[in-house]
Amino acid sequence: MKKNNKDKTLDRRELLAGMAGLSAMSMVPPAFAQAAQAAAAQAVASGKVLVILELSGGNDGLNTVVPYGDDAYYRQRPNIGIPKNELRIIDDHFGFNPGMAGFESLYKDGKMAIVHGCGYENPSYSHFTSMAYWHTAAPNSGDEYGWVGKLADSIAPSAPSNYLVNIGSTQSLAVKSEKHVPVVFDDPNRFMREAFAAEKEALDVVPDIGEVENPSRRFLLDIARSANDASTLVRDAWSKYDSPVDYGVNDLDLQKVVALLDAGMPTSLYYVSYRNNSFDTHVFQNNLHRRLLTYTSDAVAGFIRDLERIGRADDVALMIFSEFGRRVPENVSLGTDHGAANAMFVVGNQVKGGHYGKLPSLTELADGDNLAYTTDFRKVYQSITQGWLGHNDSANLLGGDFGTFDLFS
Amino acid sequence: MLRAPYRFACLAVTGIALALLSSASTAQLAGLASSQDDLAPITNADWNFETAAHLLERAGFGGTPAQIEALAALSPIGAVNSLVNFEPANNRHLQAFEHSGIHDAGLEPFPPSRPATTELAKATGQALGIKVKQEGNRRLQPVVNKFFYWLRASRLETNRVAYWWADRMVASNNPLQEKMALFWHGHYAVNQTKVRDYRKLLVELEMFHEMGTGSFRDLMVAVAQDPAMLSFLDAGVNLKGAPNENFAREIMELFTMGVGNYSETDIREAARAFTGWNYVDLDFVINEDQHDNDVKNFLGHSGNFDGVEIIDIIMEQPVTAEYIASKIYRFFVREELSQSLAEELGNILRDADYDVATLLNAIFISKDFYSAPSVGSQIKSPVQLAISTYRKLGLESVPGVPDFNQATGALSQSLFRPPTVAGWAGGRSWMTPGLLLERGNFARDVLFPDINFVPPDRVNGSSEIRSVADRIRQGLDITSATQPSSLGEGGIMAESNMLADRDEEFNTRYGSFRGWQMAIEKVIPIPRHTARLNLSKMLDERGVENTTEAVDYLLARFMRVQPDNSTRSMLISFLNEDLGTTSITEAQTYMEDSLRLVLHLIMSQPEFQLG
Repeated sequence: MKKNNKDKTLDRRELLAGMAGLSAMSMVPPAFAQAAQAAAAQAVASGKVLVILELSGGNDGLNTVVPYGDDAYYRQRPNIGIPKNELRIIDDHFGFNPGMAGFESLYKDGKMAIVHGCGYENPSYSHFTSMAYWHTAAPNSGDEYGWVGKLADSIAPSAPSNYLVNIGSTQSLAVKSEKHVPVVFDDPNRFMREAFAAEKEALDVVPDIGEVENPSRRFLLDIARSANDASTLVRDAWSKYDSPVDYGVNDLDLQKVVALLDAGMPTSLYYVSYRNNSFDTHVFQNNLHRRLLTYTSDAVAGFIRDLERIGRADDVALMIFSEFGRRVPENVSLGTDHGAANAMFVVGNQVKGGHYGKLPSLTELADGDNLAYTTDFRKVYQSITQGWLGHNDSANLLGGDFGTFDLFS
Repeated sequence: MLRAPYRFACLAVTGIALALLSSASTAQLAGLASSQDDLAPITNADWNFETAAHLLERAGFGGTPAQIEALAALSPIGAVNSLVNFEPANNRHLQAFEHSGIHDAGLEPFPPSRPATTELAKATGQALGIKVKQEGNRRLQPVVNKFFYWLRASRLETNRVAYWWADRMVASNNPLQEKMALFWHGHYAVNQTKVRDYRKLLVELEMFHEMGTGSFRDLMVAVAQDPAMLSFLDAGVNLKGAPNENFAREIMELFTMGVGNYSETDIREAARAFTGWNYVDLDFVINEDQHDNDVKNFLGHSGNFDGVEIIDIIMEQPVTAEYIASKIYRFFVREELSQSLAEELGNILRDADYDVATLLNAIFISKDFYSAPSVGSQIKSPVQLAISTYRKLGLESVPGVPDFNQATGALSQSLFRPPTVAGWAGGRSWMTPGLLLERGNFARDVLFPDINFVPPDRVNGSSEIRSVADRIRQGLDITSATQPSSLGEGGIMAESNMLADRDEEFNTRYGSFRGWQMAIEKVIPIPRHTARLNLSKMLDERGVENTTEAVDYLLARFMRVQPDNSTRSMLISFLNEDLGTTSITEAQTYMEDSLRLVLHLIMSQPEFQLG
């Protein structure tokens, strides 16, 4: 929560309006999303927004969405396996990690799709390499640009300002674009030039790139222009943002996304992350992992509630992924090592909740002791670019046709 | 502003400034502009103020015009030699790190988490050198307080180590030693947040100072046995029968060869060779009974290898010299290098038996180093930006305001806190629209100190902890004082906030507050002086008489890449308007503020970010 409520009656009314939609949060079997709008597939025109949340470090999917119904899980993880009575049960096979009240509610509301066994051929167990593959949608290959950057280039080749926003301390490869300059910032309060009044005019001018030859210098001039275009918008949006929604301990920058949406920023693609390899739980996993998942779950649940508060919940889809899952058997340090296939999540009001993809076997493991992937992760990317953003150029974007899941109503 | 032992005849600096600006708008060096990839040495004829400035910027952190002149006065070989084969005696004025005295033997070994600490205390009756209370409420509170004390104190002390290092970067007469230590720090990245022990970080830094330009093979072995790295990569839990791969993987993937030059099997085999490698306090130990003494098959070799032998096999691989030489090149010269240049550099390093100084000499004396793509093309890292700015201002130490760690952290680089074990990506990743604005804000903080500055080593950054402190002072009991304070009316409390108050044997939030309090009792405060600047005097000493000369002097002194003519004109008009005259002599008594504004404008330019 960001600030104290100023106008209590108004906020209470807003809260009650929001809470009406939340009554479904108590134990009700998965309900499906509201009646589908007869929406045209032109994503940009209809204001459809995609938000991507990256969990860095290799999130242990098996202890996130726990397959308690499969004995092999407990055989492989005699110490770190989570007992059924501690889980948040969602059906007769799966339960969420105990910290994930938010995810449990979202799933039971029918707003969360869980895609199992996502990965790619010949998996890399290196954080940086595997993450780069997910960022570029070019596994075992490589690309200079990120898939979100290429998506922006493809949908909006005229490269309007502020189309792509990446909240972070450095720019992610995922949003690296040929034509667009992604707006990258971290703290909106600091995304401003602290200048004296006398200097303002002098600082607002960015010289033309013109005949500048030094490529580093050209790059910097582009950045300077983007900074001027975006910083006031972002700061104003953030100062107007005032939400009573509790995002928990770490909002994962999702509040900033809501602030920008509410301020009418013309951005279609947002990229945020849980940074610094946080999920790399090699030793003494359970306490730490539960905390990380709690924060993630709280942030995502808060995000959806906040979107409802500002009336944009129908326009936004959120995709959550990690660069790999973790090894099926636990290690001797009560943790897990780098693995392969993992669950992905797609969350939103227009999402058809439920399980997707084929469950990987916990006994017939690949490469010694890792989950064999059953869905190429690019299929999930394609399901979103086509099914949500209405963009059908997957051959170019993803280097092939991977098919789609029907994830959206 | 000269430091021993460089003494020489002063040249008229105004003349230098004008000479600089009469050259092309980027630091073009006649004759060498197109010598890309040519490793042949430059000649005396190629050597001048510009080349010396470029060398000092890259091999060190730049300097004042006087320092550049000192370098230019030497021959090119003499200049490179003075930087690379530095004399330790030059730095007799530098002090060793002054410890606050926060550590005690009871803290070893430090448990991996708060739950592990309280479990240990419950099982054995004490932990961290603190006994569990026999009776009463919150019997484990003193143990928990000490746990948080150590985390907070080590973090604060690490910030002091960073300050000590930054001071060296500014004041050292051997800047290449510091620059090389910075390179190794990014290469062998460990993060304070995981290591949780400032002493290990200091030991590692001292190792980089001592061994940074020597044999890479010896350095790799030393790092592999260094407690900071062992703790960071979980080597201590690498045991016979259950090898932990993290350590072996990162050694091969990041430190020596790069992905694609080994198989997953090689990683698992190497991991077996490192089993039993551990540390006790600050000492490397090998636990023989946890060491796997069987034959390993690694990169085509077979034998009962230990960790050192694995490293030696890695050093035999042709790719290793190329990988390291290329990385050093990218750090000092430019991001893009051709495959043939990479091979040439690898050969130089390998033929020199991995002696890093030999490679550096070859790079810094080469025509390639002074060619157009190599000059004025590097985006300064945040540390480079801060330190070179301080050096160019002629400061002798790092100001306490702004806080160095906060400032560089806001620019995305915090010493001892690299984002991952891969260190910092560098290059263009230092720059985003947000970060460009932050760099201008940093300059403003230096030139116009914030009167509302709050020292981060005195005021805790968490509003929760500050709130607990206030409520304790008001006489609330611990339970009431530690309720989460941020819940709004009718709001839904997030799961994580509900977990905070469950245990009765201790209160975590109180421990966090008390730990902070204990830490600031012990840790020496960082001195909070501001930058001692006198730009008026700087211009006066150079005999600057009008605003055009003033702007040209500042541009020449502070920028390696000159901006557009339109920018230069804008700066001159700005100064004219602010001073109400074009005469510096006329404005002598009141021009300090205006000069600082101009300098802030200069430091906010995109071109200022290039070195």
